Amino acid sequence: MYILVIEDEPVIRKELKILLENALYQVTALEDFDSVAEQVIRKKPDLVLLDLNLPDVTGFDICTEIREQSEIPIIFLTGRTDSMDELTGMLKGGDDYITKPYQAPILLARIAAVLKRTRISETKESTVLTCHGVHLDLVHTCLEYGEKRVDLSKNELKILHYLFQHAGEIVPRLDMIEHLWENQVFIDDNTLSVNVTRIREKLKSIGVTRLIETKRGMGYRV
Amino acid sequence: MRLIDFLKDKFLLILLHIFCMCTLGIFLHVTGYSFSNLILIEIFWLLILGTWLLVTYIQRYCYFRQIEQTLDRMDQRYLLGEMLPDSYRLEDKLYREMIRKSNKSVIEKIHQIEDEKKDYREYIESWVHEIKMPITSIALTCENRRRSNVEELRTIGLENQKIENYVDMALYYARSDEVYKDYLISETDLQEVVYEVLAKNQGYLIQNQVQAEVDCPDLVYTDKKWIAFILNQMILNSIKYRGDTPMLKFYTIKQEQGVLLALEDNGTGIGESELARIFEKGFTGSNGRSHERATGMGLYLCRKLCQKLGIEVWAESIIGKGTRMILDFPISSYLSKL
Repeated sequence: MYILVIEDEPVIRKELKILLENALYQVTALEDFDSVAEQVIRKKPDLVLLDLNLPDVTGFDICTEIREQSEIPIIFLTGRTDSMDELTGMLKGGDDYITKPYQAPILLARIAAVLKRTRISETKESTVLTCHGVHLDLVHTCLEYGEKRVDLSKNELKILHYLFQHAGEIVPRLDMIEHLWENQVFIDDNTLSVNVTRIREKLKSIGVTRLIETKRGMGYRV
Repeated sequence: MRLIDFLKDKFLLILLHIFCMCTLGIFLHVTGYSFSNLILIEIFWLLILGTWLLVTYIQRYCYFRQIEQTLDRMDQRYLLGEMLPDSYRLEDKLYREMIRKSNKSVIEKIHQIEDEKKDYREYIESWVHEIKMPITSIALTCENRRRSNVEELRTIGLENQKIENYVDMALYYARSDEVYKDYLISETDLQEVVYEVLAKNQGYLIQNQVQAEVDCPDLVYTDKKWIAFILNQMILNSIKYRGDTPMLKFYTIKQEQGVLLALEDNGTGIGESELARIFEKGFTGSNGRSHERATGMGLYLCRKLCQKLGIEVWAESIIGKGTRMILDFPISSYLSKL
């Protein structure tokens, strides 16, 4: 996925680029704001992040120009939190409107949502993850080992999903909790421990022991 | 204007007449007029005087009643000078002129203050937009280095978020008088708004070992951004006055005339004597004084914005057990038909 960032504030531009690159997008940040619309169309990005206040020109005008030739998804980024601006943005053909200061998870989620809406996502995640012979079925929310299977709760599934994705690594507890919060499971440290204990019992019931290691003071590892 | 007051006001005039009547009576008596003629003259005099007083009273009464009614109907009472009815009386004319002049200076003063206020508000708004640039830079810089596990960056990120919240409060306060300029009523999924606010405060909430449960399946018609701001203030309050194992519960209750959104915490709670006052400006109660420094602005702004949005807000609390904040979104029959 190729994202074009149009933002005149150098620090924000740089950090935004890093953020998006960390999220595995391919990113170009424009540094020259002459005839932006032409540059956008020449570069053919999958998505444009467009700041509203650029030198000499507003994001709305650029959006109008781009829309004359192309249907590239555009997300406005702005420090203005005016509803009128938001409405104008939508009317000019913007796909979303995010106000600064944006929270990174929200920004990434909105980008993903717009990309998903405008095209069918290319990278389909597999629905069954396997680790040490244990299968985690995301669709049926259950664990399978050999012939046995056990159902999981929503929270347990999300915890295991994250651990399986990072198989072999030590996952710090705080990272785990942050990941869960980003996925609408709002739990604290103690509840995480309780959930992990429950998962271990379920694993035991299908004959798996010592799948999840506890690294004291560091986190969990599968 | 009562008759008795009117007569009191005309006391000197009546006294003068009585004096003249007596003088005339004595004069006529001395010049040999018969007593009955004398009585007749005095009675006529009294009748004429009485009629004149009555007519004047009725005139004045009508005149002032008209002014009073105008005043009652007026939206901006300081404009009375322009609305005074015409009157042939010299005094009325003089007063009218004076009131008009005095009103004019009031109007000028008001315009001046309004202009100043507008300038100030516009400055605050543009300042807020400016300050959001560096806040964004800091937030992104911290976020990008989150995995590097530097404790200081997390702290900076959290403090940065506090700054953001205070800046937001200033912006919404500046705007709270002119909500209609910044209104985008749409069908709003409360669940989504709650998720967004929780995501926004994620760092702060995790740091404070908070758990949250969200069960808000109902849709309402409102402005998403304002609700998010209001919820944000309430969440921050819940965390500020948290208990041992803080737990936030968000849920909606569907009712016949609307939807209730409740935020329940298990924090320190608010005493009954203070409960009624928490939405007042500058009220910081005993909790506010014993915990982190409270400004007494958060909930005040919440209620103000709620009033503008047509939402009712109230709190229920048991000390030591927790607080429940409730937002009541009325379902407008007009909107739901659209």
